[in-house]
Amino acid sequence: MKSLLSLGRAKYKLFYHYIGLALVAILTSSVTAKDYLIRNATVYTSGQKGVLNNTDVLISDGFIMEVGRQLKSRPSYEVIDATGKFITPGLINAWTQIGLEEISAAEATVDYQTKNKAHSASFNIAPALNLNSTLIPHNKMNGLTRAIVAPSQGEHIFQGSGAAIVLMAKSEEYIKSNLAQFVRYGSEGAELAGGSRASAYLVLHQALSEADFLRNNRRQFTPGKPHQFSMSLQDLDALAPVLERKNPLVVFANRSSDIKTLIDISKEFKLKLVINGGAEAWMLARELALAEIPVILDPLDNVPSAFESLGVKLEGAAILQKAGVKLLFTNRSSHNAYLVRQSAGNAVAYGVSLEEAIKAMSINVAEVFGIESYGKIELGMHADLVIWDGDPLEITSNAERVFIKGHDQLMTSRATRLRDRFWDLRDIQNKAYKK
Amino acid sequence: MKVVSLKQLVYFCSFLSSFFIVGCQQQDQQIEKSNSDPSTAYSSKYQLNEDEPPFVIEHATILTGTGKRFDDTSILVEKGRIKLIGKNFYVPPAVTRYDADGQWVTPGLIDVHSHLGVYSSPHIESSEDGNEMSSPNTAEVWAEHSVWTQDPGMPLALAGGVTTFQVLPGSANLFGGRGVTLKNVYARSVYDMKFPNAPQSLKMACGENPKRVYGANGTAPSTRMGNVAGYRNAWVKASDYRQEWDEYYLAVEAGDEIQKPERDIQLDTLAEVLRGNILVHNHCYRAEEMLVMIEVAKEFGYQISAFHHAVEAYKVADILAEQNICSAVWADWWGFKHEAFDHVRENAAMLEKASACAIIHSDSEIGIQHLNQEVAKAMAAGNKSGLDLKPKEVISWITSNAAKAIGIDDQTGTIEENKMADIVIWSENPFSVYAKTNKVFIDGRLVYDREDQKKQPTSDFELGILDPAEGRLR
Repeated sequence: MKSLLSLGRAKYKLFYHYIGLALVAILTSSVTAKDYLIRNATVYTSGQKGVLNNTDVLISDGFIMEVGRQLKSRPSYEVIDATGKFITPGLINAWTQIGLEEISAAEATVDYQTKNKAHSASFNIAPALNLNSTLIPHNKMNGLTRAIVAPSQGEHIFQGSGAAIVLMAKSEEYIKSNLAQFVRYGSEGAELAGGSRASAYLVLHQALSEADFLRNNRRQFTPGKPHQFSMSLQDLDALAPVLERKNPLVVFANRSSDIKTLIDISKEFKLKLVINGGAEAWMLARELALAEIPVILDPLDNVPSAFESLGVKLEGAAILQKAGVKLLFTNRSSHNAYLVRQSAGNAVAYGVSLEEAIKAMSINVAEVFGIESYGKIELGMHADLVIWDGDPLEITSNAERVFIKGHDQLMTSRATRLRDRFWDLRDIQNKAYKK
Repeated sequence: MKVVSLKQLVYFCSFLSSFFIVGCQQQDQQIEKSNSDPSTAYSSKYQLNEDEPPFVIEHATILTGTGKRFDDTSILVEKGRIKLIGKNFYVPPAVTRYDADGQWVTPGLIDVHSHLGVYSSPHIESSEDGNEMSSPNTAEVWAEHSVWTQDPGMPLALAGGVTTFQVLPGSANLFGGRGVTLKNVYARSVYDMKFPNAPQSLKMACGENPKRVYGANGTAPSTRMGNVAGYRNAWVKASDYRQEWDEYYLAVEAGDEIQKPERDIQLDTLAEVLRGNILVHNHCYRAEEMLVMIEVAKEFGYQISAFHHAVEAYKVADILAEQNICSAVWADWWGFKHEAFDHVRENAAMLEKASACAIIHSDSEIGIQHLNQEVAKAMAAGNKSGLDLKPKEVISWITSNAAKAIGIDDQTGTIEENKMADIVIWSENPFSVYAKTNKVFIDGRLVYDREDQKKQPTSDFELGILDPAEGRLR
């Protein structure tokens, strides 16, 4: 009964999505969403059903329509035999600058920060996103279908708001913007705020207090008129969704004492705090679990590269998981954001469960950032999934087919084009004339 | 022609004199007397402990680094050397036995591109000792003089199976200075780590870095052609300098009175390259620039040992093979600079396909801990594109090929009889993300044991750093 009900709801939802998808398909002239029946795979659902063996997945109209054994086929379906293969949700990296940088050292291609001191929290990266970036096909064909895109660096501890992108269309429909506010704390925050962590605390605390006051007395203040706040009205307004618990406040911090301070601030302002970095988060695993504060971390980063991350270690992720902290994985790379999968594999090697590691690159990220209908292989979800030719976390495994919202993705990138051009080094003079 | 015969004579005389002074350790190489004679100051004081008890690793799957794989095979280690590799040899009862059933054994891994000790962790301004960014030519500086032996990255690399690594100066300069090859052992002094009889290297850099660092200040070089002019000017001086000193040595040998030339430690380094005693490791991303550097080497008569980073090596893999130049590459880094834009995941695989010397390097304190994973990715990318690369072949990318590029392949880098017993026992196939080192041996000494905390080194820095009673990682 319950499943029938949810099926009905999914279909109802589908009706609207269908129109939307059809429009997008026309607009982007990419591969149209067919119906696919994937047969006999091992499915990491990232949902309540856990791992399912010998299971079929039906993709219809861009959505997952059925997950089960020996599903009925129809002539219109493309049937894919996935015997011996694995399915996971399309992966998401919880912290990237995809679409905001093409060549990191070429400033003209970099948009992830503002050096304009007039802006801080109101800096919203969405208008700068370039979905024609070469980073998108490269990451996508290696199994990454979505990414959190965050501002980085900058001149203020409030870096601005980030977005979630779908690594597919060259269309703004695939950007969900303004979904979290990003902050730098720790030594970097200290440097920006005046040279001490206590300065960073002051700036952060004052901004949140003022933003809280402002949102409760908004009519008394009009843009352009003088006020006594430490930040512009625009920047303080940008913090309102954080204070209303609509958006998470994602704070970069590594030292356990900094994380402790942030937990306190989070309690004081009743925030949805997310710790980003988290080198020493494992030292506060219980406190973080109790306060329901998720952690974005790169489980492969075990180098005490700063005095604030002396406690970092490969077992950190597993300690957090066992204490009940929700984990979100990143590898702090945009060009190779897909390699978050390698970081996750290492997390498993050092004690995180395989299922939880996949969740840290799918449903956990979706839940924390409020991305709807994504992150699980379940009825009614967008059909974002990857068929892997081996253990999905094994580094020698490859993504064989990648589906995003039901669209079968091209497994081509600038890198594969270069590979093909130079695979055979004979007849080199004519290479320029061959696509 | 006269000059040539004169030089030949110099080689011969100095070979003899070296022989009497240091005892000819590198018989296949002409040892040239020179100003930086390694038999005197700055030489390796690394101690091989010959009293280390013998042991045998049994029932292992062995990747030798020579392209072979042996299953269910044993290795006997004695006096720090690999004594015997075989299946059913007699082991005296007193010999320690390590049962490696289900486990894999490889040579100790070698990273040809590390900055451990010169860009140490934690990264603070006072530990930035890798780039002498005060002139485009700093051939006179030596990385070993910067090395902090207590970099916590070293024991981490050891846990990743790295027994040897080459520490290079950074790439800001056309000539960054001399690199040094180290054994990954706890030591008070860099000379207690310095790999015995390993040649030093010269770090050179192409492309964006030198022209950016100096061009931005309005000094040369500010273009790639400026870079090349900078190399050539230096080599012209070095050629003259070398000749002057060679003539001086020759005269001294002949008993002639001759005025001693003026010593220049910058030119010492370059002259040693021209004599073949220092190996050139050239940071170079682009295909065009690698080919230009080959021309520079041709003009002045030196050999490039390896191009480092070499993101576009796959475009010229045939030429690199023909020139006998190794390419030390990442599995997948790209896009951080324009010259790193033409990346392919198959770079190492395409080099192997062209029979060129492929090496995977780290240039990273994280990457150095997982060189096996970097190779696994590069192998998998090649195989996905249709090659049939096997673990027994690609292990050479971080062992024997690496050893060759830094001139220690006669001593380590393979599991062969009489080689140094630099050995890693892995929990499983090392090209799995789940593989871990179980035990690491350097010259037959157990220097890391995952099962035994007492056999896990901790640098001085890490003692009591978080908890006064503990090491950093407990």
